[in-house]
Amino acid sequence: MSTAALSTPDGIAARAHGLTKAYGSGETTVLALDSVDVSIARGRFTAVMGPSGSGKSTLMHCLAGLDTVSAGQVWLGDTEITGLKERELTRLRRDRIGFMFQSFNLIPTLNAAENITLPMDIAGRKPDEKWLDQVVDALGLRERLGHRPSQLSGGQQQRVACARALVSRPELIFADEPTGNLDSRAGLEVLAFLRQAVDELGQTVVMVTHDPSAAAHSDLVLFLADGRIVDEMERPTADAVLERMKRFDVGRASVADGAPEED
Amino acid sequence: MLKATLRSFLAHKGRLLLSALAVVLSVAFVAGSLIFSDTVTRTFDRLFASTAADVTVEPKDDLNSNVPSGAVQTVPATLAGRVARVDGVASAHADVSVENITVVDRDHKSVGPTTGAPTIATDWYVTHRSPVKLTSGHAPQGAGQAMLDADTADKKHVKIGDTLTVMAQPGSFDVEIVGIATFTTTNPGAALVFLDPAVAATELLGSAGKATSISVDAAPGVSDAVLKDRVSAALGSGPYDVKTADEQAKSSAASLGGFLDVIKYVMLGFAGIAVLVGVFLIVNTFSMLIAQRTRELGLLRALGADRRQVRRSVLTEAVLLGLVGSTLGLAAGIGLAAGLIKLMSAFGMNLKTTEMVVGWGTPVAAYVVGVGVTFVAAYLPARRAATVSPMAALADADIAGVGRPLKVRAIVGAVVGALGAAALLGCVTASKTASAASFLGLGVVLTLIATVIAGPLLVRPVIRVLGGAFPALFGPVGRMSQRNALRNPRRTGATAAALMVGLALVGGMSVASASMSKSFDEQIDRTLGADFVIQNANFTPFSQEVTDAVRATDGVGLVVRQRFAPLAVRLPDGKRVETTASGYGDRLDDVAHVTYAQGDSAAALADGAIGMDVDFAKDHGVKLGSVLPVEFPGDRTTSLKVGALTDQDASEGFGMEGGLFLGMGTVEKYVPDGQDSALYVNAAPGTGPEQLRPRLEKTLDAYPQVQVRDQADYKKLVHDQIAVLLYLVYALLGLAIVIAVLGVVNTLALSVVERTREIGLLRAIGLGRRQLRRMIRLESVVIAVFGAVLGLALGLVWGVCIQQVLALQGMKALAVPWGTIVAVVIGSAVVGVVAALLPALRASRMNVLAAIAHE
Repeated sequence: MSTAALSTPDGIAARAHGLTKAYGSGETTVLALDSVDVSIARGRFTAVMGPSGSGKSTLMHCLAGLDTVSAGQVWLGDTEITGLKERELTRLRRDRIGFMFQSFNLIPTLNAAENITLPMDIAGRKPDEKWLDQVVDALGLRERLGHRPSQLSGGQQQRVACARALVSRPELIFADEPTGNLDSRAGLEVLAFLRQAVDELGQTVVMVTHDPSAAAHSDLVLFLADGRIVDEMERPTADAVLERMKRFDVGRASVADGAPEED
Repeated sequence: MLKATLRSFLAHKGRLLLSALAVVLSVAFVAGSLIFSDTVTRTFDRLFASTAADVTVEPKDDLNSNVPSGAVQTVPATLAGRVARVDGVASAHADVSVENITVVDRDHKSVGPTTGAPTIATDWYVTHRSPVKLTSGHAPQGAGQAMLDADTADKKHVKIGDTLTVMAQPGSFDVEIVGIATFTTTNPGAALVFLDPAVAATELLGSAGKATSISVDAAPGVSDAVLKDRVSAALGSGPYDVKTADEQAKSSAASLGGFLDVIKYVMLGFAGIAVLVGVFLIVNTFSMLIAQRTRELGLLRALGADRRQVRRSVLTEAVLLGLVGSTLGLAAGIGLAAGLIKLMSAFGMNLKTTEMVVGWGTPVAAYVVGVGVTFVAAYLPARRAATVSPMAALADADIAGVGRPLKVRAIVGAVVGALGAAALLGCVTASKTASAASFLGLGVVLTLIATVIAGPLLVRPVIRVLGGAFPALFGPVGRMSQRNALRNPRRTGATAAALMVGLALVGGMSVASASMSKSFDEQIDRTLGADFVIQNANFTPFSQEVTDAVRATDGVGLVVRQRFAPLAVRLPDGKRVETTASGYGDRLDDVAHVTYAQGDSAAALADGAIGMDVDFAKDHGVKLGSVLPVEFPGDRTTSLKVGALTDQDASEGFGMEGGLFLGMGTVEKYVPDGQDSALYVNAAPGTGPEQLRPRLEKTLDAYPQVQVRDQADYKKLVHDQIAVLLYLVYALLGLAIVIAVLGVVNTLALSVVERTREIGLLRAIGLGRRQLRRMIRLESVVIAVFGAVLGLALGLVWGVCIQQVLALQGMKALAVPWGTIVAVVIGSAVVGVVAALLPALRASRMNVLAAIAHE
């Protein structure tokens, strides 16, 4: 599978070739990712969907350099990240990738402003003040900068995480179920911000989700099942995504679902 | 419920490991000290019991006989004949045994023990009780021959045929070693020289008619007690002590006991520190474990366990921990005792590890201490566990215990602290040593408790300051480590408390010892006028030859001798005070600056006169010119007229109550055959001290028992003696630090586990491993330095108060050893770095993905 239609060399933010991730060995080997080829288009909002155990989080972790691969290659921009050393991977995550997780996104001892600039502080770089102001205002966090995470609502916390992911202007933002722990209104807000980041700020976002209405905010949905990309959908709607997902449930009974999952 | 408890105990065994180690250490010291002292006591009891004669007749021991006057109390040798005629006596022997000698080899090196144990010269008289037997060569025959014990011969490389010089009170004489005797019992560490009985009394006591004791063997069928009564009756009311074998063994054991007690108390001191610091560690561990298991405990409660069951479950875990720790500690204690016994052999006291005594009291004490301490330490956390509500199972448990108010602590801490401060104030203002010391003790305990209670309250303000520069110095890593340390003040406080206790002790003692040193320095500057002092490091007397040789040295002008004399003085207020007086030769004023309230040196040192401290005199109603009845050893009594009252600082040091001093003539008259303890020497006119010194040193080459010291050397000698006290404190500190490090490791390790997800997140967004390790290291350092700062602050306050007590004894200078204090603070930072090694490594090795997904 490929998304060749979208790819010009400088239009690709990240890609993988023959990406395979296996757990265990011998007869008990479970393939979380089975020779996946994928390209993430720059400047677009890509959603990764699939049933539990389909390998969607594993794909994200491998693309983000959080997890090692069993076989295949992964590039971030022009850099092949498979084979990079631990320290180089850490730098890469710090300087070129933004992260949002489902929950526990913030360091409880730091206030919102400190959390937002943390990756840049770690790198010892000064944040671009203008850009920082723009991001903070866009996310409506101006009044909350001095607050600790425990003084923020769940939605506000995710917005701070979003700001942290944006502020270093990474090549790619990975969001792992960013709305999973939020009520629907706060979830919608966060999705709108991600959309805005792509449309207005020119960011590239990859979001893992199992929620069709969240996926509907993206430009392109990749469907994973049993460690393979089985389908993709441009300009998705919630209903269309839901329909596509239902087809997985039918086929599922016959599939061994043992791959370690994200939840 | 018991099953759940056991499971929980086993599941958390890793986290309990360090607590167990604290229990092991405390128990090991308790058990080790008990086993060691039991073993030593048993060994020596056996030695003394086997070597004591059925009945012994000794000179009456009426005055403190430990005073190093150099004089030997004797009985007439003819007493043996009188005793032998008593019905029921099989034999009676006049023993000669003295310790006031020095034995040197050809190279003028002492062959005596270097440990402070005595060199004993005695007559070679073989009985079934002898602790030695002849193993090579032959018994000494006549003057000029001697035997040496095998251990000393071995250590000092003395062989049969070698010549040694014995410097005894009557004079020196050379002996050829003709035999070697080996201990058949335990060697108590002394060096033994045996002489022919025919000449021993003459050579060692100066007269064939003297003996140091009479040993009496009972005829078959006569009991020791009966024989004692008969001997006592036969001797009438003479100045003799008659003892049975049992009594003799007991009094020998008692005289050795002081030394052994010191070892025992030092060991128990270590055990006490280990217990005290261990308690903090255990409390902290259980608190953290319970905080981490809040949900689990909530679930138990939701499933129907009542509070008592939860509490009992936690306490059962504590008891299990105590049992395991005590058992291991007991084993470690046996090892420790074995090590100590080996160490004693290195000092020449040949105990055998195979004869180790483990009395029933040892395991009892071990388990009582181990289980008791763990139980008590776990009680508060257990109560807290019982208050966990069933709702905790459902709630998304945050790190528990963070936000709980510290109001109760603030109030209790303030009240106890105020009481402690009041006690310390009482100490500072008290005018009597005894009351000041008890105020001091009370104040120290109360302020320590207050600081421990209020510690968590001090965490925020102090660490804000200590870690204030961290964000600037170390960026976000510094900021996070500082905030992490502030995160749970209760935990940080308890962790630091362990270090605080040890360092407070060190702070106090180092101020006290520095002040003592400074006071002595000032006193030496003020009072010592002589160019040189000749004496030895133990202030023990030396033979007359030394004095003669010094006098004969070219360039020596004035020599003023000093002797100690045990005496008892009856005072006008009816009190009888037993003390030690100093005897000085004439012209004291030329070698010392004595300040007199009334009278002068000449009046005090005149025949039939005595001088004393003006405060002592005032307390007991003594006035200048008062005539006081004085008793000397051996029932010699006289009356002395008070010729002068001194107004000196620290005149009552070294157990010499009253600061009594008198003329050398008086001392020689009433304590005959004594030896000089110190010589104050001035260079002759025309000879510079710097010229005299090498000459004196050359003279004293032949007398290794004494050294020549000028003022600076004399100060150093005093400093060294104070340093011994300090080494003990540093050893205590070492132990406290070891346990405190365990505590910091424990806290950090549990914190790392608690913060797994946070660490995962940090790693995901790009925190390097090295940065992560630095973050944990800085947190550890700030906790350790916090403990050090608190401890040293407390210690300084204590030190100033201790100095106030010392000032009442005349040690009026206050010195704060800032160098030591800065070193301790730096050292505590190093401790923090060391403690963080393992937890930091563990954190940096965490799998990022697993950490993020961690529940």
